[in-house]
Amino acid sequence: MIEARDLAKRFASRESPGRLVQAVKHVSFSAPDGRITGLLGPNGAGKTTTLRMISTLVAPSSGQALVDGIDTVADPLAVRARIGLLSDARGLYGRLTARENVFYYGELRGLAPEAIEAALARFTEWLDMAPLLGRRVEGFSTGERMKVLLARALVHDPPNVVLDEPTNGLDVMTTRALRDLIRRLREAGKCVLFSSHVMQEVSALCDSIVIVARGSVVASGSAEELLASSGRTNLEDAFVHLSGEEIAAIGMADAGRGTGP
Amino acid sequence: MKPAVLVVFLKELRDSIRDRRTALMVFVASILTGPVTLVLVAQYVSGLEEKASVLKVRMAGREHAPALVNFLQRADVVIEDAPADYEAKVKEGRLDAVIVVPKDFDQQYLSGEGARVEIVYDDSRTESVPATRQAERLLRAFNREAGMLRLMARGVSPDIVEPVKVQHVNTATPRQKGAVLLFLIPMFAILSPLLGGMAVAIDSTAGERERGSLEPLLANPVRLWQVVMGKWLAAWTFASVVAVLTLAGFVAAAALYAGKRLAALLTFGPPELVHFVVLIVPFAAMTSGLQMLICTYGRSYREAQTYVSYLTTLVTFVPLIVMFSGLKDAMWQLLVPVLGQQVVFARIVRGDVPTANDYVIPSVIALAIALACVAAVARLLREERIVFGRG
Repeated sequence: MIEARDLAKRFASRESPGRLVQAVKHVSFSAPDGRITGLLGPNGAGKTTTLRMISTLVAPSSGQALVDGIDTVADPLAVRARIGLLSDARGLYGRLTARENVFYYGELRGLAPEAIEAALARFTEWLDMAPLLGRRVEGFSTGERMKVLLARALVHDPPNVVLDEPTNGLDVMTTRALRDLIRRLREAGKCVLFSSHVMQEVSALCDSIVIVARGSVVASGSAEELLASSGRTNLEDAFVHLSGEEIAAIGMADAGRGTGP
Repeated sequence: MKPAVLVVFLKELRDSIRDRRTALMVFVASILTGPVTLVLVAQYVSGLEEKASVLKVRMAGREHAPALVNFLQRADVVIEDAPADYEAKVKEGRLDAVIVVPKDFDQQYLSGEGARVEIVYDDSRTESVPATRQAERLLRAFNREAGMLRLMARGVSPDIVEPVKVQHVNTATPRQKGAVLLFLIPMFAILSPLLGGMAVAIDSTAGERERGSLEPLLANPVRLWQVVMGKWLAAWTFASVVAVLTLAGFVAAAALYAGKRLAALLTFGPPELVHFVVLIVPFAAMTSGLQMLICTYGRSYREAQTYVSYLTTLVTFVPLIVMFSGLKDAMWQLLVPVLGQQVVFARIVRGDVPTANDYVIPSVIALAIALACVAAVARLLREERIVFGRG
């Protein structure tokens, strides 16, 4: 169970120091267990920053994030222990094998070797990883790397799964394997929260959708509810309508920047 | 369940051991270069000693100076005839020094007119210096003998022209002479941990940032200081191992000269090695910590490499300062990182026995700096601009 309560984050601007950039303004939503929640929004909407606040990597400027009822600022270690995170940064250790990469995180999380082996066996079956395990990661394709990243992020069988743009750059086969995995996680009763800027991706998978634009949640609900509230007949139109309306409402002064960061 | 520090430590060790290119660089730059340089310098020095130890002069026109030849032969000096083109050969460096006797030497010598000889040499060639000095010394000795004989023949005591008698008393023991040669070993002792710890320090900080593996790593339920401590221990281990191997290489190189004339000059055996290692291991803790700290500011491997090379330059400068500034030993030097180690190393190679303070003071300071660096890195990794600010 993941809850965001009016999360906001301001950064010092890199281009003009002294100016604050408001990456996230008002983000509130709730992602319950046993459901797939999609964070949908254009690039630069604040999705990654929101997920970083939820996974304790970034402290919110205001608002609160709760994971299974635990405040991310009050007890970050407990929150991290209850989350499996596929972060925006996708670094693996090239000189280590796929197995060693997964073992590293398993051991860091205090798992016994048998538990790590069991997790590896599970992911090897689900993601068809058998040929990868003993090979060094440095020559892996994007799809192969993604499989290792997923196994590494979920080695501790966490109750909450946070995936930042997991389908970016993946081929059809790996995307399918990933969707199957996400559904399996839902069936196992996990809370799955993932972000995407691809509307089809979210509509195909998610039980509920949270649309974020320019740092704020502009709409949320199931696909049907979103269609109804926007008055459109297909979800793509609804997405453009909902996020676009928000952009228009923010005012003409910023319009030149479009949806950029 | 393994403690997190150990997990990080073992992972970094394994990761770095597999980095073959870096391993080769460290092997060549430190473990091989140091001892090989020692052997080369020793060869050069022993060459000089041999040249000077056999008394040998080259003469052109020896037939014109029977008295001088007689003197040299009495002094067991080997006289060789210089070839006709001696001047060209001296220029080319194929002859060191030639004593040239003009045709009218004997006539002038006998008449007491102040006969002339020339020493032909090329003073831009340092290797010719011992031979030139030797020729000069022999000629001066001949001068003195001849002069005294003439004074005595006139009933004058030779002491009149030599009111002061100079005797050479050299207080340097053979080992202290060798210390000139052995400046190499302290220099490499200080350099080798920097080379050894560099790859791990860069890879585990700026490398993690560049690769994008830092963010997921920090999402694990582990405290920052544990991660940093594990990485630092790995860097320290590599730095210490490379330093010990480099110094052991010097022991092996010095052992090549056992039983030779140079052995007395090259006393660097297992006991000296132990003294060095006791000092170098805490020193390596400090260099690894400093390297990690400055590398954490680097967004990429290359950027961090540049920062590390500044540190290396700074540190290697210290032995040179000591060599050329003629600093006298003083207590305060022990308090200065690098300088403290350098001073004690110099004492050890000179054959002095260091006191307990010589070990404790520089090492405690080094370890304190190392821990401060670990704490500083852990602090930096709390900052969002470091974790997310990628190249």
